[in-house]
Amino acid sequence: MAYSMGSKDVRRMRRILLELLDRSEADACVVCDQAGHVLAEEGLESQDPHLMSALGAGVFAATRELAGLLGENEFSSVVHQGTRRSILICAVDEQSLLLVIFGTSANLGLVKLYASPAAAAMRSVLDRVRARSEEETAPPGHTFVLRQGAPLFGAGK
Amino acid sequence: MAFVNYESREIQLKIVYYGPALCGKTTNLQTIHRMVSDDSKGSLTSLATAQDRTLFFDFMPLVADAVEGFQTRFQMYTVPGQVMYNMTRRLVLRGVDGLVFVADSQWDKMPENVESFKNLEENLRLQSDDIEALPCVFQYNKRDLSNVAPRHYLDFLLNNRRVRRPAVEGVATEGRGVFETLNMIAKLVLLKFIREYSGKQVEDARLVLA
Repeated sequence: MAYSMGSKDVRRMRRILLELLDRSEADACVVCDQAGHVLAEEGLESQDPHLMSALGAGVFAATRELAGLLGENEFSSVVHQGTRRSILICAVDEQSLLLVIFGTSANLGLVKLYASPAAAAMRSVLDRVRARSEEETAPPGHTFVLRQGAPLFGAGK
Repeated sequence: MAFVNYESREIQLKIVYYGPALCGKTTNLQTIHRMVSDDSKGSLTSLATAQDRTLFFDFMPLVADAVEGFQTRFQMYTVPGQVMYNMTRRLVLRGVDGLVFVADSQWDKMPENVESFKNLEENLRLQSDDIEALPCVFQYNKRDLSNVAPRHYLDFLLNNRRVRRPAVEGVATEGRGVFETLNMIAKLVLLKFIREYSGKQVEDARLVLA
């Protein structure tokens, strides 16, 4: 099973993320799924979005399990606060997360305030993406062609 | 679950190395990371204890030019092998597209291999996945040691199904079998993705893997 995003989906998601960054004064944000795949990102400089997604998905999944142990349905968000940079991780839906990275110039309350509607807007985009993926496979006429020949990976390759 | 981004022309796929404690899962990723060229890999991140035992997972992205017109990104994970970390293994398995089961070939590790494989099947079932439907490669590791079970015995114990999965003999510390395993699972995952996602009938997998 697979799901996909086209240019329109990506533009919608980017618009939501840019608006969130603008309003909250956060530095960067990433949307990822529970497998750790990066669905969208804005504002990251040196950080690897794939590593951030893998770690963020792991942290949030573990937090959800902790919530279950405490009899909570879920903790809707997690905040890790540092001296210079902090991160807010919140659920977009059952399968996706929004990570917001912000510095000392941004306010946690403001980040939380704007992250919530951003997550809701993102949810509606992802709902459409998933509904479409259940109905169809690749776009009509599109064929994926596997490259043949030498092995994909090897020493020094 | 594979993810395709048509805007950035990228396909993301998740491969998980599973197996009992100290069988060589992390060593596989470390060897790949050490030997593969810089432009194919991201950094290897290990969430480990002070004793270098995997606590949560190891993670490394690998990039390949495997599908025409798309960059293929394999997200490579290991799970912690120790029995007590089962919840963590379940979390790492979410959205998996392909599995490498690393078995410890030593005779005295057979019960642990079997237990770990049963645990894998159970954890997949809990997330509504079926091992029969997922690409899977066995790696019989530590073949350089003196007290190892013969390959056919490992096949009998772990790979004894109607459709046998590919199995590779390895010495992960020396790199033996590591890339063979990696290339095999990468190809199987890609073949499944293409077959299911684009509805394209792919030639017999054995021909492509040859």
